[in-house]
Amino acid sequence: MLESWIALARGPLLRLALFAMALGLLRHVLLQVWEIFWALRRAGDQVVPWGLALRRNLEWLLPWRYLQRKERRLYNFTSFIFHVGVIVVPVFLAGHVAIWQQELGISWWRLPGSVADWLAVATVVAAVGLLLGRMLNQASRTISKPQDWLLPLLCAVPFVTGFWVAHPSWSPLGLQAVYLVHLLSAELLILLVPFSKLVHMVLFWTSQTSSELGWRFPPGSGERVRLSLGKDSEGV
Amino acid sequence: MQLGATSLPDVPAETLAGLCPPRLTSEKIQERLSYIIEKDRIAGDLPRRFLEVFAAILQHTNYRQVIDNYARIPARCANCSCACQIYQRTNAPEDVPCYRSDLLLEVYRRHFTLRGIVEEHLRITPLLTDEYILEMAETYYHCTACRRCTLECPLGIDHGLVTHLARYVLSEIGLVPRALVISTRAQLEGPTRNTSAIPWPAIADSLEFLEEEIFDDKSIKVKFPIDKPDREFIFFAPVSDYLMEAETLMGIAVTLDAIGLGDAWTISSEFLDGINYGLFYSDWILERCLREEVDQAKRLRSQKILIGECGHASRSAKAFVKTFGGGRDAPPVVNIMELTHRAFKEGKIKFDPDVVTERVTYHDPCNLARSGWIVDQPRELIRAFCKDFVEMTPGGKWNLCCGGGGGTVSVDELRPYRTHVVGSKKAEQIAATGAHYVIAPCANCKKQLREVCQDNGLTDVEVVGLHDLIYKAIVLD
Repeated sequence: MLESWIALARGPLLRLALFAMALGLLRHVLLQVWEIFWALRRAGDQVVPWGLALRRNLEWLLPWRYLQRKERRLYNFTSFIFHVGVIVVPVFLAGHVAIWQQELGISWWRLPGSVADWLAVATVVAAVGLLLGRMLNQASRTISKPQDWLLPLLCAVPFVTGFWVAHPSWSPLGLQAVYLVHLLSAELLILLVPFSKLVHMVLFWTSQTSSELGWRFPPGSGERVRLSLGKDSEGV
Repeated sequence: MQLGATSLPDVPAETLAGLCPPRLTSEKIQERLSYIIEKDRIAGDLPRRFLEVFAAILQHTNYRQVIDNYARIPARCANCSCACQIYQRTNAPEDVPCYRSDLLLEVYRRHFTLRGIVEEHLRITPLLTDEYILEMAETYYHCTACRRCTLECPLGIDHGLVTHLARYVLSEIGLVPRALVISTRAQLEGPTRNTSAIPWPAIADSLEFLEEEIFDDKSIKVKFPIDKPDREFIFFAPVSDYLMEAETLMGIAVTLDAIGLGDAWTISSEFLDGINYGLFYSDWILERCLREEVDQAKRLRSQKILIGECGHASRSAKAFVKTFGGGRDAPPVVNIMELTHRAFKEGKIKFDPDVVTERVTYHDPCNLARSGWIVDQPRELIRAFCKDFVEMTPGGKWNLCCGGGGGTVSVDELRPYRTHVVGSKKAEQIAATGAHYVIAPCANCKKQLREVCQDNGLTDVEVVGLHDLIYKAIVLD
């Protein structure tokens, strides 16, 4: 019974989730690039500090920026560990690379098993740490929305179950049940990427540029706004 | 008057009252936001008008690409709250920059994205109500748009940009501080062509008087050049420098004379006010002010635009003259401190280090320092004439706002908020330096810091411009 479910989850469902994610992300990227292209065409000052934007992106990807901070250093460092985990393990775990090879026909470097184990544990700890950090910080706690609480939890599920799949003796459930939960939770997460804040995995790369471009106004835009509102004859 | 009643004329008033959720009366709006509006400018259904304006702005400007990005990526980590001096003081969730920005972003999500429109139809209560819009009108003028939080956002969200856009939308439905509108109207449409509505003869008289003052103080004849064509620089300063902050203007004139640029600059009698409140609330105003500056530069055939000691006048010109003044052909923009600093490095200017003996500290105006544009130049100048210079911490790019940024300094009704909430950290900073002089090279910062010092019991502090002290310390051959 479970076997057929696993087969379904491992084959068509995984493909569907990945396809939906790719399509959704592609839509976001294309729209964003299109918007940036038009913004640039319309801007009166077309000099955009691309290098500065990229440097700021990279600054926030590396941990030294967090470690210099006075406030929330631990939270930010936890966030760094969490991000390393959620990117590296799904992509480079040996078992996953085998699936990618089977599905996509390409293969790459595989993460040594023991490193993967530790990274998975670290990711789960970091996910809990992020939730605690959110809970204990008044500002963060009060502005949080449901997805801010649910997503770290949902991210932790495939890591916990994945660890149990690799080490069945630690698992409280049967291997097949754990494996099924692992697959389904991961697929749900993959499916949610384009529809939740997880979309920052692609939109993060343009946000710094977007911010700079936001200040590059098209000449005459103020006048055109007034015209379209029928206020062109009104004064200040 | 019932808001919204005018937009639905065919339905009897009683029926309408039964159908509509209770609306705020304009009296109530007046009561809550007495400084924000002019009574006759509020008409019709606020939510509908807000959405119309928002849609028009998204269509004609470059905001959509950035707002769409911001609407999707926030992680709500609240790193920004650590950088916000308002939140640090109030600990109120509505002062977290990310929360404030989300007010506008949520309107975008609900009304301008597919998912949001579906959601909006599924919910019984709409998001956008009169109350919601008034909350925006209130909170976006609690933010001083200092942009300190943007340095702390891992996702690169510029909350200053969101504040600017929100105020722009609000201003087009008439929700804008009266003080800003009146000043801008005088500057762009009034006979005096400046924000303080001072007629030209009064300014001309004042300049003549300042020339005499300079002669009395320094025994040199310095002329304020008026409407001189073919000069290298055309000069724009905040109009307050011509009367209330005259020491700054005298310092600038004497410095330019001393470094051999006395015949290289001019003031335009037609338009001399560098103030640009458009940077705070409207792209339309921003463009009109800058076009005036560029037109005057063309009229007098000046090659460069020189801005006096003013943060937002400098930033608006530096960042947007290219945009509105013809792209690459636009005249370059220089701030007076850059010019004085360059002359100092070239050895063209000398100071007497024994004139200013009191302790001095320097306040970085956000609009000059946040981007790292003018941070070290004034400090090098100050160290050259002052032996007892103390830094405020944090300073430079990480400076704290004076508390009156984003045009809020012009709103007298906000004074207790400005000096006791936003400006209280600044008061602590100033007190910690033990300085007598606080140099603030910005007309807005100067007014605000004086009020901060008054309201926080810092009676021994004197707030001055950089060129006020240069005027005292400069050595003239």
